[in-house]
Amino acid sequence: MGEAGSTEFRLPDLGEGLADAEIVRWMVAPGDSVTLNQIICEVETAKALVELPSPVVGVVAKLRVSEGETVTVGTAIITFEGADVPAMVEMPPETPDASIDARTEAPDDEGRSSMLVGYGPGDGDSRTGARKRRHAQRQRAVPVEQPAVSATVAAKPPVRRLAKERGLELSNLTGTGANGVITRADVEAASAPTATSSTPSRDGHDETRVPISGLRKRTAAAMVSSAFTAPHVTEFVTVDVTPTVELVEKLRAHPAFSGRKVTPLLIVSKALLFALERHPELGSRWDEAAQEIVTRREVNLGIAVATPRGLMVPNVKDAAGLTLVELAEALSGLTERARDGKTELSEFSGGTITITNIGGFGIDTGTPIINPGEAGILCVGAIRRQPWEYRDEIALRSVLTLSLSFDHRLVDGFEGSGFLADVARVLADPTELIALG
Amino acid sequence: MAKALNAGLRRSLDDDDRVMLMGEDIGRLGGVFRVTDQLQAEFGADRVVDTPLAESGIIGTAIGLAMRGYRPVCEIQFDGFIYPAFDQIVSQLAKIHTRTEGAVTVPLTIRVPYGGGIGAVEHHSESPEAYFAHTAGLRVVTCSNPDDAFGMIQQAIRSDDPVLFFEPKRRYWDRADVDLDAAPTVGLYDARVVIAGSDLTVVAYGPMVATALAAAKEAASEGTSIEVIDLRSLSPIDFDTIDRSVAKTGRLVVVHEASVFLGIGAEIAARISERCFFQLEAPVLRVGGYATPYPPSKVEQYYLPDVDRVLDAIDRSLAVE
Amino acid sequence: MSIATAQQLDTADTVTLLTEHGGDLREDDLFSPYLADIDDAELCRIYEDLVVVRRIDAEATALQRQGELALWAPLLGQEAAQVGSARGIRPGDFVFGSYREHAVAYLRGVDPTLILRFWRGSTHSGWNPYDINMTTPAIVIGSQMLQAVGYAMGIMRDAKRDDSIHDIAVTYFGDGATSQGGFSEALGFAASSHAPVVFFCQNNQYAISAPVGIQTSVPIVQRASGFGMRGIRVDGNDVLAVLAVTRYAAERARSGDGPTLIEAVTYRMGPHTTSDDPTRYRDADELALWKTRDPIDRLLRTLEYRGLATDEMLAAVDAKADAVAAEVRKGCLETVEPRPESIFDHVYSEPHSLIEEERAEFLDYHRGGAE
Repeated sequence: MGEAGSTEFRLPDLGEGLADAEIVRWMVAPGDSVTLNQIICEVETAKALVELPSPVVGVVAKLRVSEGETVTVGTAIITFEGADVPAMVEMPPETPDASIDARTEAPDDEGRSSMLVGYGPGDGDSRTGARKRRHAQRQRAVPVEQPAVSATVAAKPPVRRLAKERGLELSNLTGTGANGVITRADVEAASAPTATSSTPSRDGHDETRVPISGLRKRTAAAMVSSAFTAPHVTEFVTVDVTPTVELVEKLRAHPAFSGRKVTPLLIVSKALLFALERHPELGSRWDEAAQEIVTRREVNLGIAVATPRGLMVPNVKDAAGLTLVELAEALSGLTERARDGKTELSEFSGGTITITNIGGFGIDTGTPIINPGEAGILCVGAIRRQPWEYRDEIALRSVLTLSLSFDHRLVDGFEGSGFLADVARVLADPTELIALG
Repeated sequence: MAKALNAGLRRSLDDDDRVMLMGEDIGRLGGVFRVTDQLQAEFGADRVVDTPLAESGIIGTAIGLAMRGYRPVCEIQFDGFIYPAFDQIVSQLAKIHTRTEGAVTVPLTIRVPYGGGIGAVEHHSESPEAYFAHTAGLRVVTCSNPDDAFGMIQQAIRSDDPVLFFEPKRRYWDRADVDLDAAPTVGLYDARVVIAGSDLTVVAYGPMVATALAAAKEAASEGTSIEVIDLRSLSPIDFDTIDRSVAKTGRLVVVHEASVFLGIGAEIAARISERCFFQLEAPVLRVGGYATPYPPSKVEQYYLPDVDRVLDAIDRSLAVE
Repeated sequence: MSIATAQQLDTADTVTLLTEHGGDLREDDLFSPYLADIDDAELCRIYEDLVVVRRIDAEATALQRQGELALWAPLLGQEAAQVGSARGIRPGDFVFGSYREHAVAYLRGVDPTLILRFWRGSTHSGWNPYDINMTTPAIVIGSQMLQAVGYAMGIMRDAKRDDSIHDIAVTYFGDGATSQGGFSEALGFAASSHAPVVFFCQNNQYAISAPVGIQTSVPIVQRASGFGMRGIRVDGNDVLAVLAVTRYAAERARSGDGPTLIEAVTYRMGPHTTSDDPTRYRDADELALWKTRDPIDRLLRTLEYRGLATDEMLAAVDAKADAVAAEVRKGCLETVEPRPESIFDHVYSEPHSLIEEERAEFLDYHRGGAE
């Protein structure tokens, strides 16, 4: 309202739908004393003649606009002196401490043009200034990120993020998805150390090219994903499993197992379940999204099966709840269905831990890759008759090497070693199953 | 479900003598769907009121009753008849609490039988829920099964805010054992995971929950594991439950009878795209009514989402590798 | 277009007690008894009310012209209709007003500063309705009448349990509102439920620019009979007739005789609002005619006839009016504007996840937090 002692009166919004008005007639002159609400002038908009009442008690110092002049809303039209305007002060908002700072760059009301039912719209869009403050803060806090990829590259958001995490430029990749979309597998293939580039033959004659099947693709994606998200640790143990071999023979002869397939894998499975009960960490799962470690009561035991179509890992549901006979039946059913391509899709989901049996290929041991979403995988090699220390002498015994890969995020060496030792202990003497199981 | 609602209303009338029911034909007749059957005989004509035939009048007078301290439960006979009351609901009911800076609360429940699939004539099959969910000050909920119907209607009546309670009329005759002594275990505004799954999330509400479950069953037989969420509340929406599910499955299909354009599914798609941007393996897909008026009943089956349309959306989502 | 003229709409009997050109009150067998307690002192107090509310109205109009209010809906000319009716009901009764009933709100005890808060754009209400048993402005024309009927239906139910309850509901509306469906529905619901409600129509001759003949081709009071309801037309510029008729209708409602429609015939001497220009749609002659019927002058002539209009009395009334006006101005200029984040308050009475989420985002954004 101007400096102390003098008060300007600006043409207010008169709510007539117009932004300006003509000063038709002054009813006061410089030097006149005015009372509150005394009519000081008549103004005319294109619509109506309106009398303006004085907002103050005081003396007219100056008429700032001549009669007949048209001025816009907000123009100072008169100055008063010695004005008594006791309450004409800007009030802060209620409880300013608790409130947001509404005074910084408050919306400017003076630029409003009048409207039918209110103060009218502002001159432009009002601005609270908050964005500027935030922008400045963000500039200080974090560097501006450059867009990771050009907008023409097609890839869905999780794949874009994966690429970013792997430090890959999507524009450098070739998409194998529909319409050239870059898939997760493309990113994973590009970032796998052994597969950073394809290996075209020098002359193109001594190679065959087979389209990558869906199963192969899924296996590849799963293995890459597992290998690069779960830090693997692999441990080995070699153990005399002669008592297990003998037990298998006895079971084969037992009427309860007549017509059922009994293999060392059955006892290995049972041993694993025995060990898992003591080391539940091996049955847990890393939930990245929820940032939680999930452990389920039910154990769905996965068995890696080589099939004509490729590697499959169906699982036996709630394996820990099965009797030995039931487990035998479940294992043989599982492998048969897998080889016949009749595995139900539900058998592939929800696995807890996996056994991979490479003994059938005559291999002693390996470093298996964990089935994604699980914490460990037990690799079973070939059982060989070989010289072994037995009761302080050299004897021919049935010897087996076991290896266990586990996800070091979930399982420490102490637990992983304990688990593998327990499996070995049972296979060395299945009596443990009865004694402690 | 109609019987479960009847039991819930009876319980509310018993529990609080400020509760009263108002609507067209709800007294002697017991309502055109018999949801208020026998309640006038039990509680009297002052508490179960047959009103004149004017929806705006029903809601307007109910607001006055609420201001006097009553807790009116109004029945709008059919979805398509709610529009005459639109001003009272949207400009009055929804805004009185705000307008009066909290001095006046309007604990009003509006029951709306809604949705199609019943072979009805025009204006008897609509799904107007989005209009009300779009309006600040209103709460909007819908039940999908008899158990929820019994519990949710009581929770809605106990709310001090106005609640639009949408009842899927094609599920009125669904049967289930309802434990009338059980207290509701889920909050009125919480969504519920009906079946857990791992490959894709389907969010549905009201009449479409049963359709979503049927689609999930079919999908399971094809080897796809679907998680089905019954939204239950449309304002507010329990986005946390959807978030958690989509973070797990990476795929989302939203199903409702109402027109897809600017429907509840549009809001869910937008929010989930914001919240789960980096978890989404495919765009959020919506299955619902077309941008047409509700069609004549001889062709309504082509308008309404069915198991096949839901499965088709599931297929389209899963096809995005 | 041919619309009903003022003469055609003036065919119903109209209750008048103040004589047009001075002299004492007219006697009316039915209504005069309702003024038995109005002695000279009370007459002076009524006069004071009329002057004070006109002064508040003038101050608010001036404040709008000075840029302090977004809008104001002047009541000039309708003082008697509002003061007479407001004085005819009890504090326990509940008023469902429209948006021009500043005098009713003032007489029911609201601080007039609070009335202005609404028109300043600082709130959607202004006062707690339960503090004075009156709702805050209802802007959507015709929305409040049904609510009054519902409230009255609630009173009926309460009275069945407690026979000391004799409250009623009163609803105010204008001639324009009688065209809204809500008006007919409200009359229908009230008549069929026999609710204790008084419908008080201030027929001020205009709905913004539309003369009452556009709304109706018969006197508004006749609407009542179609609903089987008592209807009374009263001279709305005659504060005593309005008072008597309102007391009569309120008594009927209190004693179980059901609703009454009162049509108070008055005149909006000012614009619809400060944004309106009535010279575009009505003649100066018409305004001049109604100035001869000014509700304050009408009562003043009777005061003069009775020798009550002494200089001291008139000066005291003016002083009171000036004091109230000064208070209104001071209160308006000292308005504490709402906290920005208060927009999230009271959307719901119980926690609502979306509101909480948006409030947090809003505060974070404006406090300058970077994500």
